[in-house]
Amino acid sequence: MTFDSDRLAPVFPARRLPLVRVLVAATLLVFSAGLAQGAAEVPDDADAILDRMVENLRGGGQRATLVMRVERDDDVREYRLEVISDGTERSLTRVAGPPRDAGQAFLVDGDELFVYSPRLGRALRLPPSGRSDGFLGSDLSYDDMAGDEVRDDYDAEVAERDDTTVTLSLIPRPTAPTPYGELRFTASIPDLAPLELEYYDQRGEAVKRLTLSEFRELDDGTRVPTHFEVVDLTADGGRTVADWTDVAFGVEPPDRCFTQQALERGCDW
Amino acid sequence: MSGRTRRVDRGLPGMIRLAWRSLGRQRRRTALLVVVVAYATISLLFFWGLTDGFLTSIYQSQARLLGAPVLVTTPEYHADPDPVHALPELDPLAAAARSIETVQAVAPRVDVPVLLRSPYASTGVQLRGIEPTAESRVSELPGAIGEGRMVASSGEIVLGDALAERIDVRVGERIAVDAASVAGPSALGLRLVGRIDSGISVVDETTALVHIDDARTLAGIETATSLALAVPIGREAAAARALDQRLPDTARAYGVEEQMGELARGLAAERVGAGVMGLVFALFAAVAVTSSVVVSVMERTREFGVMLALGMSHRRLGAMVTLEAILAALVGYAVGLVVGYALLIWMAEVNVLGPLFAGIWGDLLSGLALGTDIRTDVRFVYVAYAGATVVLAALGAILTPARRVMGLVPAEAMRAAD
Repeated sequence: MTFDSDRLAPVFPARRLPLVRVLVAATLLVFSAGLAQGAAEVPDDADAILDRMVENLRGGGQRATLVMRVERDDDVREYRLEVISDGTERSLTRVAGPPRDAGQAFLVDGDELFVYSPRLGRALRLPPSGRSDGFLGSDLSYDDMAGDEVRDDYDAEVAERDDTTVTLSLIPRPTAPTPYGELRFTASIPDLAPLELEYYDQRGEAVKRLTLSEFRELDDGTRVPTHFEVVDLTADGGRTVADWTDVAFGVEPPDRCFTQQALERGCDW
Repeated sequence: MSGRTRRVDRGLPGMIRLAWRSLGRQRRRTALLVVVVAYATISLLFFWGLTDGFLTSIYQSQARLLGAPVLVTTPEYHADPDPVHALPELDPLAAAARSIETVQAVAPRVDVPVLLRSPYASTGVQLRGIEPTAESRVSELPGAIGEGRMVASSGEIVLGDALAERIDVRVGERIAVDAASVAGPSALGLRLVGRIDSGISVVDETTALVHIDDARTLAGIETATSLALAVPIGREAAAARALDQRLPDTARAYGVEEQMGELARGLAAERVGAGVMGLVFALFAAVAVTSSVVVSVMERTREFGVMLALGMSHRRLGAMVTLEAILAALVGYAVGLVVGYALLIWMAEVNVLGPLFAGIWGDLLSGLALGTDIRTDVRFVYVAYAGATVVLAALGAILTPARRVMGLVPAEAMRAAD
């Protein structure tokens, strides 16, 4: 064992961490809105409310196209992503554009995360440090694609409630692997469709905010958010905006869409 | 009686006595020679004492702060420090280590690469899992806590001050720790209970300590990646060699230099370079002595002419001049040894150099895991190193001043101006 410079690893901005998670959650939200529409009365118990919200987030399978725009002071980049998800713990994301990045793909399978690079012509299982690296050179990290453990890692209580919205305060459990001090999760009443998710540090300051807006009413009367905005509230923060241009919900992707072969060659389904 | 005296005077002792008297008659020149040689000797002793002390300090800092005096790992882990190459078992290895007389303590460790995340930044580090009580016997890190306290139980983490600053986390706050364990990805939330402020940048920028149980969880192993052994300073390599004889093939003991790898080889190369410098230093000192003797010979040309006229052979005169140079050099050498070793011993006892060097080359020293405690080494071998000056001075005296004396013509020499 040598004393080498590997111990001095680079620092990656933490603002990359929750974005994909949030976007995946938002994607699922669109589907979940339909489920929530027919929901019964909003329960009083915070855990029951959180369960409903998470059920919405963990809705069924989907196939969608996401246009993501990363905005910085001096730069704006736009990506087109094709997403297939079974609605639980598996998803396949392929980059369709711009041409420079097209062909890259990411496979989430439970806790595992793989990336395919067309330049290398091979798939790689990401080490922990690599999981925090920039996703397509944006604020997104590969780690975010592993999913949201809100229900497993946080204790919930109702912080605010009125006739139209309910806000849950989510406090991390003692050994939960999260650096945040609190999440504040707001949903509409009565469908409990999430409207806003705020991340607070352990000093009581909000560091990130996801806002869902531009709702579109579907044929069944469901109001679906089509615009998602993630704002980094720290001093050097930026903004990432995502819009759904095409989405199909309630689908059941075959298992072959979540294999190494699908990662490398895509899934024609 | 007189014949016997003449016989003695013509021998080496007589020559020495003659040269000694001559030195006594030329007290200013002799004093100058003695001072020059003493100065060179002191300088050489200081040079080697400082060089070795500096290297020793680096080795000890590496051993006590970053690695261990002796580390037992699998050969595979030594080549590729991945938890997948963890030790297969601990108890037999620990028993073997304790059977070595010089091993004072044994502490298991689990080193695992992780990603630390705060709400503001994340960074990759090599996390070290320790048994808090055992670790305090093999490492100086537990004594370098600047704020808070050392890890005492699971769920806690201690970071180097600069590392904590880099990801902006304060004592009492939680950090998310992600790892790729042998069994797959794993993660923990750990509360920061202390910050290490050693004043050594490589330590303060990279240290992350947790309880060994948490590290085992993150690494996905049940044993340890290494056993750290406490061994008295200077006996690390011998202890490692002795322990190697008692270890199974699955494990090996590594001394400090083996742990340091390329850095140790670089430092060894530096010492070779220092040896060349030391030789050049001795050469310059010898030249100074020789030039002093040359000046002395030139000033004493008439005296030598008279001595030749009285019947002294050129050979004996040359020998006398050489002996004068050697005697003066020996006196200076002896004085230099006494003063030089006194200086080295003092600087080995009192940390005079550390604060001085830290003020000038603080960043450089810190990068080498050196703090502000730098002391000289005191080794007997420096007597030989400094003795090179005397030998070179004698050679110089033979080659130049003595040859000049050998070429003197008595009549011309006696007419030479003072």
